Amino acid sequence: MIEATNLTRIFSNGHSEVRAVDKVHLEVNRGEFSMILGRSGSGKSTLLGMLAGLIRPTSGTVRIKGTDISSLSDDLISELRAREIGFVFQFSGLLPTITVIDNLMLPALFYPGKTDVRKRALGLLDRVGLSDRADAYPGTLSSGEMKRVAIARALSNSPSLLIADEPTGDLDVDTEFEIMELFRQLNGEGMTIVMVTHNPDLMRYATRIYGMEQGRLAEGFHSVHTGHGPMEPLH
Amino acid sequence: MDPWNHCTEGDQIRMKQKMNYLTYIIAGIRKKPGRNLATIFCFAFIAASIFSGQFLMAGAARSVDQGLWRTGADIAVVPTRYLIHLGAAGPDNTMAIVRIEPTPYRVPLTTMDTIRTVEGITAASPQLYVSTLDLPEIAPMPFDIYGIDPETDFAIQPWLQAPLKDPLGPGEVIAGNSIPGKVASTIPIAGHEYTIVGKLDPTQSGIDHTLFFRMEDAYALASTNGVIPPDSPRINPGEINAVLVRIGPEPVWFRTSGTLDFKPSYPGFIKDVIRKQFEPTYATAIGRHYAITPMSEEITAIPDFLSIISGIVVVAAFPLIALIAAMVAHERQHEIGLLRALGAKRRIVAMLVISEASFLALIGGILGVTASVLVFALMNPSGILAPALQVSFRMPGWSEAGVIAALAVLIVLAIGSIASLYPAYQSSRMNPYEAIQRGGN
Repeated sequence: MIEATNLTRIFSNGHSEVRAVDKVHLEVNRGEFSMILGRSGSGKSTLLGMLAGLIRPTSGTVRIKGTDISSLSDDLISELRAREIGFVFQFSGLLPTITVIDNLMLPALFYPGKTDVRKRALGLLDRVGLSDRADAYPGTLSSGEMKRVAIARALSNSPSLLIADEPTGDLDVDTEFEIMELFRQLNGEGMTIVMVTHNPDLMRYATRIYGMEQGRLAEGFHSVHTGHGPMEPLH
Repeated sequence: MDPWNHCTEGDQIRMKQKMNYLTYIIAGIRKKPGRNLATIFCFAFIAASIFSGQFLMAGAARSVDQGLWRTGADIAVVPTRYLIHLGAAGPDNTMAIVRIEPTPYRVPLTTMDTIRTVEGITAASPQLYVSTLDLPEIAPMPFDIYGIDPETDFAIQPWLQAPLKDPLGPGEVIAGNSIPGKVASTIPIAGHEYTIVGKLDPTQSGIDHTLFFRMEDAYALASTNGVIPPDSPRINPGEINAVLVRIGPEPVWFRTSGTLDFKPSYPGFIKDVIRKQFEPTYATAIGRHYAITPMSEEITAIPDFLSIISGIVVVAAFPLIALIAAMVAHERQHEIGLLRALGAKRRIVAMLVISEASFLALIGGILGVTASVLVFALMNPSGILAPALQVSFRMPGWSEAGVIAALAVLIVLAIGSIASLYPAYQSSRMNPYEAIQRGGN
């Protein structure tokens, strides 16, 4: 599904350079729930940005379903993102000025021609248990509800890959559990998920875990399959 | 079956509704009502200034056109010395040849007979200036007394607000617009009561302060003590100040004769023919351009002024609107990053920024034009516009006003669109990941 090879991203402010991601190799197979675990500033969000085509790598390649997105134009990457990738942000990422249902239909706006957009959006809201909040504005929702709407929106274009950047970072324990259970259900239904988090407690949900530190995937944690068992210590 | 596609029967009605760009743009505008109202006001001001400028110019031009149509006189046959007076004439000389200037120089009424012999003339009518009276009990300003021939007159009577029921008779008078008194009321002059049988439309010229009598009544008034100043030459029956002449359409023989380089206009040709009839005696002929030129200069001065004002407004508006659009784009970096992450292409982001500015411009443009139309509609009947402009003004027709309104809105739309081009370009080039990092909710 995703194959990152020798992926590097260097940020420069003119005086100094920061190697946010350093020669990372990563492979995510169809149906996997891959989790990238790392502390704040370890480069995991930058890596996720490159996997989603939001950040251009300084060097290396990212292949999604065999297509090297590093060689695509911005518009083609946008098109691929809209077609193949659902993105869940650390914050809700909902537009506060439009209703919940309009937020769900927003991605379809950019690629007209799809039918039953509203029907699908309502179905997704029903699936995340918020069908009664379709006409509400995001500001009236709880943080857990907003996150569920954000997940529903990420699924609105029927993507084959769900990318989540610290999706439970700002949630309480109960809501965190609720959201992670939703991810587990999605993965159980065949959705490929790549998620970054700094919370080791969530490792039990993943089918594959990567550790990240100072821009590099931590040694010894490549392809560590943990199932839903206890977390393996980082070396 | 798609496991995510649950939908109840009750949802069917809501299915028909669809998210569209307009919903998104309006939602964005509603997010910052204060700033967007100020932006709309800015666009409205630009549209109002453009519309007002063009509308005033059209109104003044329409007035001139209507004036020319009403004037009728293509040529005036006047005493030779009249030319000296005309050269030094002041603002009262700005009207086209409807009423001849008040001068003491006269020619005999028999001049009419000579003029009528000239081929190409379709109408000729005499005018006589009697005196200027200052009678506060009749009018707050001094007014002129003129004699006309109601049967041949084609210059004054077209200006009547309503046609006369009967030809102007003895003891009756036609009053200029600024003369107090309604139709059917009477005016006492030199011991006689004269009935106002008609009032003229405003002309913003001396005509507004003039009473027009039958020629016989004018001679009678001229012979009444106190009407003509003691030091002025006496007016004898049979004397007139001028003959107003209307000429017919250009005949085929004239159109096909001569060379293009040296050929005069047909009115110019007739004028020369009339002049030759009187040379080297007391009368000469003047063409319409003598009287119209000062008016034209006034009219052309207005567009220059209004164009400068409109130009300043437009030039000042560009950076202002661009700044507002840049502010909007900067404030919404996070949102733009989200849109890009959701799959929006660069051109869609640019289109959204331009559309929002254009939408505000459209609303502002329509409001500005509507407000201007209301102001003009309220001001014109009260007679404020013409004095304020120092020229005659007539409201343009609906179709002309519509074209001007559409032009003003289009210009404002263009300003909004062009001014937002660079912010739109910047927004579309924004790195989505960095944009997303700038804030969140």
